[in-house]
Amino acid sequence: MAVDEAIFRAGREIKIPPTIRFYGWKNPAVSLGYFQNAEREINCGYCRERGIDIVRRPTGGRAVLHGDDLTYSVVAGENSPHFSSDIVETYSIISTCLIRGLEKSGIDAEMVKEGRAGSGPVDAFCFSTSCRNELLADGKKICGSAQVRAKGIFLQHGSLLMDFDPAEVCAVITKDTGADTGTLERSVTSIRRSVGESVGMDTLCRNIAAGFEEVLNIRLMNGKLFPEEERLKDSLLKSKYRNTRWNMGQGSKSGH
Amino acid sequence: MSFPSDLVYSREHTWVRIDGDIATVGITDYAQDTLGEILSVELFPEDSSVEQGEPFGVIESSKVTTELISPVSGEIIGVNEDLSDDVGILNSDSYDTGWMIVVNLRDLGELDNLLDAESYADYVEEYEEVD
Repeated sequence: MAVDEAIFRAGREIKIPPTIRFYGWKNPAVSLGYFQNAEREINCGYCRERGIDIVRRPTGGRAVLHGDDLTYSVVAGENSPHFSSDIVETYSIISTCLIRGLEKSGIDAEMVKEGRAGSGPVDAFCFSTSCRNELLADGKKICGSAQVRAKGIFLQHGSLLMDFDPAEVCAVITKDTGADTGTLERSVTSIRRSVGESVGMDTLCRNIAAGFEEVLNIRLMNGKLFPEEERLKDSLLKSKYRNTRWNMGQGSKSGH
Repeated sequence: MSFPSDLVYSREHTWVRIDGDIATVGITDYAQDTLGEILSVELFPEDSSVEQGEPFGVIESSKVTTELISPVSGEIIGVNEDLSDDVGILNSDSYDTGWMIVVNLRDLGELDNLLDAESYADYVEEYEEVD
């Protein structure tokens, strides 16, 4: 998360090429939306017991349980020829790239046309709702995304579910251990639920990268963080992402 | 879309009402329309310092989270507490009850960097056309 924000912030100060990252999570973790508060929105006691990390995102939206997912992030200038200054148009372009990548993985996905409201006790969970330009497979949400913009640069990141455990999500999100998982079962899917074991994380990652290359007509190049990005990452780790108050959403959030 | 002529505007889509060395700041009609339904806002507290071109808060809408970029430098002497009860006024009344902060200006000269209503309307139009 610190790396994503470092690239986003560096892009405002120095000229960097558009950056696409793919990553997984060493430990299971819950990421909270910028305006969420951990104590209010999730079951912190359960997270502590199970060793589930809690981190707050620079983007808005609702909680996401990471671990069995592929997380992507895209940072670029609003004036980049591949993207758009229009927020919804940018979602749409990135969704088209993801859909192409999922298609290569044997999954027929589509953009959400009509938003779906939250579903009761798991309202704080990202995948309990769907918004325009998020992705459905078999009519169920498979990818949630969020965007932050400042000074002409955007960061969009999102989570593609490799697997999905409704009972675990209910345990993390609600304080009601007996919560009904049926609604989530009916509204959320994953790569494994769609195509079984045939597509692993590495294959999915390659396919999604190829989706970006084909749709945007670009060639991705492996890269490392620029020195300015490294410096910002270290500073953000200290001020935010290793700071409990930031991660739990306590007190004043503004300021960097 | 309306841009009242008694205000000045920044390229980051905030408006400023000047009264001597005091400035009231909010977001423009273009900003609220582009953001869509505004869900949350967080503003720097009273007594904090803001700089022209630097953040003074964060706003979340149904589409995006974005930093609010201050059009002026100075000390915040007022914050609109009504926004915490009803953030919807940013969509319905962004120029009046939807004001955000009041700033005691440090440098009146930097107001020259802002745009009058006509220039801002042209800027928005060009911005849309680039897209």
